[in-house]
Amino acid sequence: MKKENKIFNAMKIPLFAILCSLVVGGIVIAVTGSNPFKAYYALLQGSGLAPKSSYANYKSILTDFFSYVNYFTPMIFAALAVAVALRAGLFNIGVSGQMLAAGFVATVVVGYSGLGAVVAKPLVILIGILIGGLAGAIIGFLKYKFNINEVVSSIMLNYIFQYVVSFLINTYYVDPVSRQSVEVSQAARLTLMDTLVGNLKIDIPLGIIAALLAVVLVWFLFEKTKLGYELKAVGYSRSAAKYAGIKVGKCMVLSMTISGMLAGLAGVTYYLGYVGSIQPKVLISTGFDAIAVSLLGSNNPFGIILSSMLITMISKGSTYMKSVAGVDAEIASVITGIILLFSACNAYIRWMAEKRKREKNRNAKEEK
Amino acid sequence: MADYIVEMKHITKRFPGIIANDDVSIQIKKGEIYALLGENGAGKSTLMSMLFGMYEPDEGEIYIRGEKVKLESPNHATKLNIGMVHQHFKLVSNYTIAENIIMGMEPVKKAFGFIPVVDIKKANEEIKALSEKYGLAVNPTDLISELNVSTQQRVEILKMLYREAEILIFDEPTAVLTPQEIEFLLEIIKGLRDNGKTIILITHKLEEIKRIADRCAILNRGKLIDVLDVATTSTKTMANLMVGRAVSFETEKKPANFGEVVLDVNNLNVMNKQDFRIVKDVSFQIHAGEILAIAGVAGNGQVELADAIAGLMPVHSGTILLSGEDITNMPIRQRTLQGISYIPEDRQNYGLVMNFTLSENLALKDYFKEPYCHKGVLDHREFFENSERLIEKYDIRSGQGSETIVRSMSGGNQQKAIIAREIELDSHLMIFVQPTRGLDIGAIENIHSQMIAERDKGHAILLISLELDEIMDCADTIAVIYNGEIQKIAPADTLTANEVGEFMMGVKKQGKREEASV
Repeated sequence: MKKENKIFNAMKIPLFAILCSLVVGGIVIAVTGSNPFKAYYALLQGSGLAPKSSYANYKSILTDFFSYVNYFTPMIFAALAVAVALRAGLFNIGVSGQMLAAGFVATVVVGYSGLGAVVAKPLVILIGILIGGLAGAIIGFLKYKFNINEVVSSIMLNYIFQYVVSFLINTYYVDPVSRQSVEVSQAARLTLMDTLVGNLKIDIPLGIIAALLAVVLVWFLFEKTKLGYELKAVGYSRSAAKYAGIKVGKCMVLSMTISGMLAGLAGVTYYLGYVGSIQPKVLISTGFDAIAVSLLGSNNPFGIILSSMLITMISKGSTYMKSVAGVDAEIASVITGIILLFSACNAYIRWMAEKRKREKNRNAKEEK
Repeated sequence: MADYIVEMKHITKRFPGIIANDDVSIQIKKGEIYALLGENGAGKSTLMSMLFGMYEPDEGEIYIRGEKVKLESPNHATKLNIGMVHQHFKLVSNYTIAENIIMGMEPVKKAFGFIPVVDIKKANEEIKALSEKYGLAVNPTDLISELNVSTQQRVEILKMLYREAEILIFDEPTAVLTPQEIEFLLEIIKGLRDNGKTIILITHKLEEIKRIADRCAILNRGKLIDVLDVATTSTKTMANLMVGRAVSFETEKKPANFGEVVLDVNNLNVMNKQDFRIVKDVSFQIHAGEILAIAGVAGNGQVELADAIAGLMPVHSGTILLSGEDITNMPIRQRTLQGISYIPEDRQNYGLVMNFTLSENLALKDYFKEPYCHKGVLDHREFFENSERLIEKYDIRSGQGSETIVRSMSGGNQQKAIIAREIELDSHLMIFVQPTRGLDIGAIENIHSQMIAERDKGHAILLISLELDEIMDCADTIAVIYNGEIQKIAPADTLTANEVGEFMMGVKKQGKREEASV
């Protein structure tokens, strides 16, 4: 009873933020001359959460749903990466760069190697963890050793990864037709593309299993382990953590390393899962959206599953929304933006709610 | 009605789990010194914060000069000529005195006839005149960072006067001052009253009330117990009313029984962040069963000395031996395990993780050990049981018991939690830095007797305090520090408070150091 109450209390404000933004988004859609209800329903349909009126051959609601899962898997990893760093008081704004680095190395080393699936897939995951962790560790180390602000160093690393990777792709790995990197082998791909199940062709994302596992592990880390206690102590108060005998520098490097590992996983599930190639000179927005997704999920690993699903649903369903409800896909980005804006107002909403509660109490008393 | 300048009627203020003020009514006359006396968490500061517009009361009314007001902010209170000197000063340290005082209401002149600039010359003159009028000698162009605590306090007082405050609230003004400075401050406060100001003094120092206050309101656990005429009431009566039971003023103490040397500090030098030698060639020893107290004015290196012994600050040169073992360069964690408890001066930034729960904080020094932690996994049930035991044993009060976020607890109870945790470590050496700062008589009495009980168990105690009374009451040996140097070490019974005070000010110099051990 008490526990359920706690969960409800934690979710109340994010839910309120979402509700507000849906109302505001609905008004925007109505102003552009479309039916907001139809548009929102189309988002659900596009993500395989509601049935469409007709499907092409080999397709059904299930195909759409799996494609949607495939799409939000990297977001879960990316948001976890942000949350782990935030809990330890650090801000990892370099998730996108770490994703790119991990995705690129895995692409070159495994994606073009011709290894069999049984070796290739675990190797991709391993490389993702390794390269991402390394990139995170560099940022943590710079902070610990030279007191370089992690925001600055991770933004700079973003640029370095972005341009080095695009140089290498354009020089060695470019596909002359698509102008992207050559697609990775199916064996290395973490999503089983167009797999025939019954009479359906489905993209089966293997990464989601790892993502759910990561959610549980991150939760366990912070709630149940000694290391989690130390990371949180450092996050809340570095001076008190030092006083308690916790090695603050080690904790900062470690949290950035774990954060980077998760970002690396986000990278491989994106570049070798959802898509099969890398577009040069482009830093995807997942790593930045992840900051807001993590906040919307109150930095709680389970909350992050829900908030990742919500945010990605909107962009995933936007194509279908355009074709059915005639709402431009850009509007979907606007709605995402509004949700994130409202969720950033969390503290204000909480304060308002408390103030109202107090006034209500007082009024009730005066009436007596 | 007109003779009361401030009236607070039936004020009630609740915080989660606690009623800070419960139907409190006070009336303050113009031109009197009105003292508010009470234990920690009795609600004195909360009551005054409402008068200064920082909180709104849940129930009740406030009248200023007979008019009902709803105070919404400190700015609003300032407009009604109410001013407050907080316990922790609110000054910008790299600004001058004048710049701090005028901030928010700067005199403006027009450069070239149209560009508004701060008229600092005029401000300096005004402040000079103001400080002379009230006998608060300050130089308006000095930087705050170069001033000692008592001068900073004078700046805070001038800040109120510059804003034409008529009602002046002082929150524990003497907590950080030396005896000589307290003397001076009390004279200033008297002078302000004679100039027609109304003074509200929050304190728990009975002698001060006795000396300067006209009337005194006593609060206990949020309720107004009594309002007394100070001239006709004994301090004993006031103390008993405040605590709610009979208190003993004398700290009971058996004669000391020294054992082996526990802490041996040799020619210790410590550099601060600015690479300034803040602790200079300090040497002393503490034996098992001895309380060595370091007396000194704030900022003379005593906190850095404690930090260096506990491992929070690196040692520049010299050695520290704990029970014969060299700990000079040992990591903090290992020193704790080796037998050091540390109650730091800064409770909120060092002693506690404010956003952790009480049970998490009570295990801050043990969480990595069995039974709290098994192979890297924590056992929350053990955290909870440990915390329930300490809450009971040390009477730590909070809204939601073990699950309370420490940030929401009162300062006194936060300190109780730290002391409980550190005493339970059962270390050979216990360092107490300012253990009773801001606490009330009942709590002080408690902490002193706990400290002496630990001494009697054979622990070595290093007490660092700015309160001379505390040092005179508890210490077996007194060391006086001035400018980072030990001026004098001697058995406590060979020194008087006045002598210690003079050493603290650096007035008296001791050529040769006397051996401390008896």
